[in-house]
Amino acid sequence: MTHHTFDDAAKPTKRLLRIGIYGLTSCAGDQLTILNCEDELLDIFNSSEMKSFLMAKSDNTDDELDIAFVEGSVTSDGDLELLKEIRRKSKTIVAIGGCACHGGPQAGRELDRNWRERLKSVYGEQKFDIPVPMEPKPVSAHVKVDMMIPGCPIDKHEFLAALSRLVKGDTPIAINYPVCVECKYNENECLLFKNQLCLGPITAAGCNSVCINVNVPCFGCRGPVVEANVASEAEMLISMRHPHFPTRVHFSAEDVTNRAMMYGGAPMAELLQKLREVKK
Amino acid sequence: MRSIEIKHLARVEGHGAITVRIEGRKVREARFEIIEGPRLFETLTIGKLPSENLSIVPRICAICTLSHRYASLRGLEKCLSIQVPEKTTLLRELMLHGEIVESHALHIFLLALPDLLGYPNAAAMTEKYSDYVIKGLTLKKFGNKVMEVVSARATHGENPIIGGFGRYPTNRELHELKDQAKALIPHAQSAIELLGPMKFPAWLDKETTFVCLKPPTKDYGLVGDSILISDGREFDVEDYRKVVNERVVSHSYAKRSRYRDAPYTVGSIARMNLLGNRLKGKPKDHYQQYKNARWKRNPMFNNIAQAIELLHALEKIQSLIDRTVDLKDPAVMKPGRETGKGTGAVEAPRGTLFHSYEVKNGRMSKVDIVTPTAQNLDDIEKYVRIAAQHMLDKGENDEEIGRQLEIVARAYDPCISCSAHLVNIVRK
Repeated sequence: MTHHTFDDAAKPTKRLLRIGIYGLTSCAGDQLTILNCEDELLDIFNSSEMKSFLMAKSDNTDDELDIAFVEGSVTSDGDLELLKEIRRKSKTIVAIGGCACHGGPQAGRELDRNWRERLKSVYGEQKFDIPVPMEPKPVSAHVKVDMMIPGCPIDKHEFLAALSRLVKGDTPIAINYPVCVECKYNENECLLFKNQLCLGPITAAGCNSVCINVNVPCFGCRGPVVEANVASEAEMLISMRHPHFPTRVHFSAEDVTNRAMMYGGAPMAELLQKLREVKK
Repeated sequence: MRSIEIKHLARVEGHGAITVRIEGRKVREARFEIIEGPRLFETLTIGKLPSENLSIVPRICAICTLSHRYASLRGLEKCLSIQVPEKTTLLRELMLHGEIVESHALHIFLLALPDLLGYPNAAAMTEKYSDYVIKGLTLKKFGNKVMEVVSARATHGENPIIGGFGRYPTNRELHELKDQAKALIPHAQSAIELLGPMKFPAWLDKETTFVCLKPPTKDYGLVGDSILISDGREFDVEDYRKVVNERVVSHSYAKRSRYRDAPYTVGSIARMNLLGNRLKGKPKDHYQQYKNARWKRNPMFNNIAQAIELLHALEKIQSLIDRTVDLKDPAVMKPGRETGKGTGAVEAPRGTLFHSYEVKNGRMSKVDIVTPTAQNLDDIEKYVRIAAQHMLDKGENDEEIGRQLEIVARAYDPCISCSAHLVNIVRK
């Protein structure tokens, strides 16, 4: 099977772009964020051929697509089957939201390797005659992903900017700097100075530091930023050795891991695993 | 034996399917299948901090995110022995009513009206009913605005924290919301006037039981510490298990609920049947105009119940703001203890939502969440079965039967992400 690349979809075309919006296992918050574009919603429907959007409409088709937006993690063999079908018929797959990009909160126990045990603790020996559960994984664990729009949920401005560029045959811009950049622009006082466990330094921006703006630390819902220096962040939080810290409150390695794995999913698990190996 | 399968229920949130098995002229089985994969939410936060639990569990569902957050706060603050001041409570109620506006507007105007007016989606409806689509979008946007102002984001906002808020909204922001709520009253009334006179089929009528929270005051409300049942009984929220009686079935990753061994309904229609006589002003007038005995027998009336609640929420938002603006921003309340247990409940747009917790030495040790749609599943199956048998007797083809079954299921406004992982887990 050959996958089309992102560039194929980026070629300008006169006909309307054929779009599908899909949900695997998730809270549906990214699809909801699209429906929350109240002022732009009718334009979204009118500027493209909306072939499938199960959450919003009934007349859905299995047609070939230029772009498939996929929300959710692969959490059952039904999800996997649908995802493979989407990959087969779509030129470009855009993973939207934390679940599709990183595995989401349901992949938060990735380091514990105890998924089967947890599944059993919940459902016992019950056999199901519906799609079989699978350990939650991001979309990229199973098929080639052409582009990612992270966030829990996605930011609607980022989505609209990406869609506008795609509709015009252009390439969307990926954000490659941490939340701290936006936080500084917003002139917030650094929460690390207030001894709060904030993941801003290692988390991809694009949220306009929405939580820190209201004095709540970053929980890392947009996943690790490109080249996130997790080792340095962990070291800093655990030892608080930075000269600027007024008091020396120590977080445990467990605290830092727990926090980073709230939304970090598969890529964060990989980074933390490497860190553990280096420590040894 | 033949079967009718609706593989993916459209215009609902999450993945559900309906299967009806038919033998000759008789419907043998009707199943509402929850095929969304299990995320095992109750196992995700064990060992983590209460503040981390508070961030994670609203991710169960995007549409009911603030209901989950409020129920979680009520449970966690019981565990930690925290009592919040009046301003905090008022703002939490405000965000909950914002969510009611957003969720009900989405369901009424964009998901249910296409069914009731015969269109495949809201965009197609614009050819004749564009004013309703625009009214729906305007109301929905306002609901989101309330949630943004109070919680910092339309979906999964982190501003409501244990003991208070990270940042209290300014009076200017609140006054703006009040003005907007006032201006939108006619939109909500037009939904009631459209839905109120609609005829719903009598063949679907069947008695059921209704459940909702009992507000502490004599007003219509969405928060309470006891559970009201239409058979006249009342339970403390800590005894929620006596009402929900969960069990596992083979066709659903949501556990099923039965009260006294029979299906029951939660949500707008339950609240309207149990608390409707507490309404005042315009919502009361509409309630009295359209209320009839069949509201207790036919789930299609959930649509009109939602429309009346939408109007009530717009009025309540104004009165909540009036009471909030005179109060000073309080400090965030600190935990009185690190070990404890407690159950918090709120009325989410779709019905009663329970979050029950145990915290041990400042870490989560037990989590149990029971959501509205999970409680409705058995009743949805009951009514889907009635509809299937009726359509079969009428000699309808499979396509038409399928279409009708979807309409009945959608009247419940099912929220499948929520219901896909409703499980008990006890960890030591």
